[in-house]
Amino acid sequence: MSAKGQVRVFSDYQRDFVESADVVVVGSGPSGAVVAYELAALGRQVVLLEEGPPFTPDDFELDGAFSMARTMREAGLRTTRGTVIPTMQAIALGGGSLVNSAICVRPPEFVFEGWREHFELRQTGRKELDPHFDAVEAFLGIAPTPDEVQGQRNLLFRDGCDALGIDSEPIARNVKGCRGSGECFTGCRARAKQSMDISYVPAAIRSGAKVLTSVQVQEVRAENGRATGVQGQVVEPFTGRRSHRFRIDARAVVLAAGCMATPVILQKSGNLANRSGQVGQNLQFHPGLAVLGVFPDRVHPGFGATQGYQSLHFLREGFKLETLWAPAAVLAVRFPGFGQDLKRRLADVPYSANWDAIASCHRSLGRVRARRGPSMDPILSWHFHPEDVPTVGRALWEIARIFFAAGARKILPGVHGVAEEMHSLEEAEVLRTRAFKATDFVTASNHAFCSTRMHGDPARGVVDELGRSHDLPNLYVVDTGIFPRCSSVNPMLTAMALAHRSSGVIADQV
Amino acid sequence: MPVSWSAIGTLAAVALGAWAVRRVWWGYPPAPPDAKVLSRREIAFLAAAADATYPSGGPVPPSGSEAGVPSYADRYVAAVPPGTGLLMRLLFFLVEHATLAFPAPGRGGRRRFSSLSPDQRGAVLEAWGTSSWFPRRLVFSSLRAILTMGYFADPVVLRALDLAPRAIETPVVEADLLYPPIGAPRDAIRHRPGDLSPIGGAPVGPGAPLHPAYREPAS
Repeated sequence: MSAKGQVRVFSDYQRDFVESADVVVVGSGPSGAVVAYELAALGRQVVLLEEGPPFTPDDFELDGAFSMARTMREAGLRTTRGTVIPTMQAIALGGGSLVNSAICVRPPEFVFEGWREHFELRQTGRKELDPHFDAVEAFLGIAPTPDEVQGQRNLLFRDGCDALGIDSEPIARNVKGCRGSGECFTGCRARAKQSMDISYVPAAIRSGAKVLTSVQVQEVRAENGRATGVQGQVVEPFTGRRSHRFRIDARAVVLAAGCMATPVILQKSGNLANRSGQVGQNLQFHPGLAVLGVFPDRVHPGFGATQGYQSLHFLREGFKLETLWAPAAVLAVRFPGFGQDLKRRLADVPYSANWDAIASCHRSLGRVRARRGPSMDPILSWHFHPEDVPTVGRALWEIARIFFAAGARKILPGVHGVAEEMHSLEEAEVLRTRAFKATDFVTASNHAFCSTRMHGDPARGVVDELGRSHDLPNLYVVDTGIFPRCSSVNPMLTAMALAHRSSGVIADQV
Repeated sequence: MPVSWSAIGTLAAVALGAWAVRRVWWGYPPAPPDAKVLSRREIAFLAAAADATYPSGGPVPPSGSEAGVPSYADRYVAAVPPGTGLLMRLLFFLVEHATLAFPAPGRGGRRRFSSLSPDQRGAVLEAWGTSSWFPRRLVFSSLRAILTMGYFADPVVLRALDLAPRAIETPVVEADLLYPPIGAPRDAIRHRPGDLSPIGGAPVGPGAPLHPAYREPAS
């Protein structure tokens, strides 16, 4: 069969179908794509299933809102109940890697120490995972963002950190030949970002994997205590209209549908793999929020790597700092005011930069639940724990310090109850001293974890540290849902390293 | 001839009903012919809200309606899942008519939003945005996000702020030999192995030419 014949798109499905394989992998995001490639390269018959379509450069939308409507589930407008926090999940071949900013960070050892200490894990530390990090980084050509494509927006962050003695570094990304167009979130027209659809998935196909796109897995089939495959329906891109039914029989099932979809599949499969009662529980996020700073000179914020610089300096204190660019409309929501007052402020846009913080909020927990009826969209609830809220205020204060150290003439913190604009560090002091409420912040998070967490004790976790279900020996989960606790840094690389490790275990089994 | 109380009551109810109909539904301009899903009332509300947020003039000249915000919102509501679109339309209805119950400051403040004076519209939006009640701020920020997304989709606005996308030559990579454009059959894959080209190139900077869709139209 030609390589082309091994990718099926929506127009290829004319009737119901049944197929079989050694391994069926559900979800083509970073984790699923790694498993599909590694197993195919080891000679296993692999079928990789993806609900979204493959996007070609012709399919990218430059407009941020319409891009999200096409590439994200629920048009990118999904929010949690409880503490309202927007959270997105991609629906595309390559999953979130198509529209993320390609940040790859190895968590420091202290993160894994926390995992091992609290979740009875023995083989999950930097020493054990570094070979897997190495393998993924080598495959994708992950490297620090070079200065030539940083742009002023990123370099000013470095300058501010340097002035204060705060450690910072160029962000390592799965990017080759970046041109600094700042378009990571709407799809890389320069084809520089090594998203899964142009890296691991083609490699998996070359190694013999079959890739079926526009197929929605609705159930994991199981018999006599073993997973026997999956079933679902073909779905039309963008409308989600369902048509032909399919079934894939397999000797092992790997769920990589994402932290918010995998629990729903298990719940819709008769509450499968849930003797622990932990499926869908323990949902964690990295709540993130941005501060806008305005400089005396033009920054040209639209140019430069989408997220090119970061600081891990405050990681032990619970937050990571980064530079940020997003479609202009998304960031412009930050400008306060109305009418001519707002118009005057818009004149600051070419002089502005956005820097953000993501917070580690171990105490703030939520749930993922399946809806009644046929919908596979989750019901998400999450509550910002009062003890986690001060971390966000502290992070805002540090961003303010860096902005003023870098020469900003004002900042717009975007926090309810404080001044819309602050012109000095003294004015910004309130960010450090005020007792904020969760609803004072406009936070969002696309880093989601722990909904099918790993735990050494089968009564307290869904999978073991190799991603293997405690209940069904040939069912694996490899997405960020298996993190026992948030990773404190951007999770993609960790998820891929864990998936890389699981691949070896799965290969031994089939 | 004596007038019965029931007749007076009926007349009062009819008058009140007529007042309500006039205030709520009457007197909207017709919708543009290319409107996809929004009604003329919703389009009029969006134009009023967009112009209150982004009036004409200043460093970025177009007003919200000149930038095509109502038409953008119409296309956007059509593009999102139906349930989400319905919520957005409820949001428009809520803000448009909330001033009938909670009037805007000043004379004639008990009118629907789109019938208020520009100053009153600004005051109403500011009250939503600065409310101490979080759900009210949430409603406002949702509306403002839609208006802002529409405003920042306008090429004139993006050019004025130096944010218009630049032209980028898209190289052909291995994946382009595998996938057709969405909705097309696999026969629509137009690239062959001989088309593969290297990725990379000079950084895109402020001097780079604009993407064709964002260039100033030739006069």
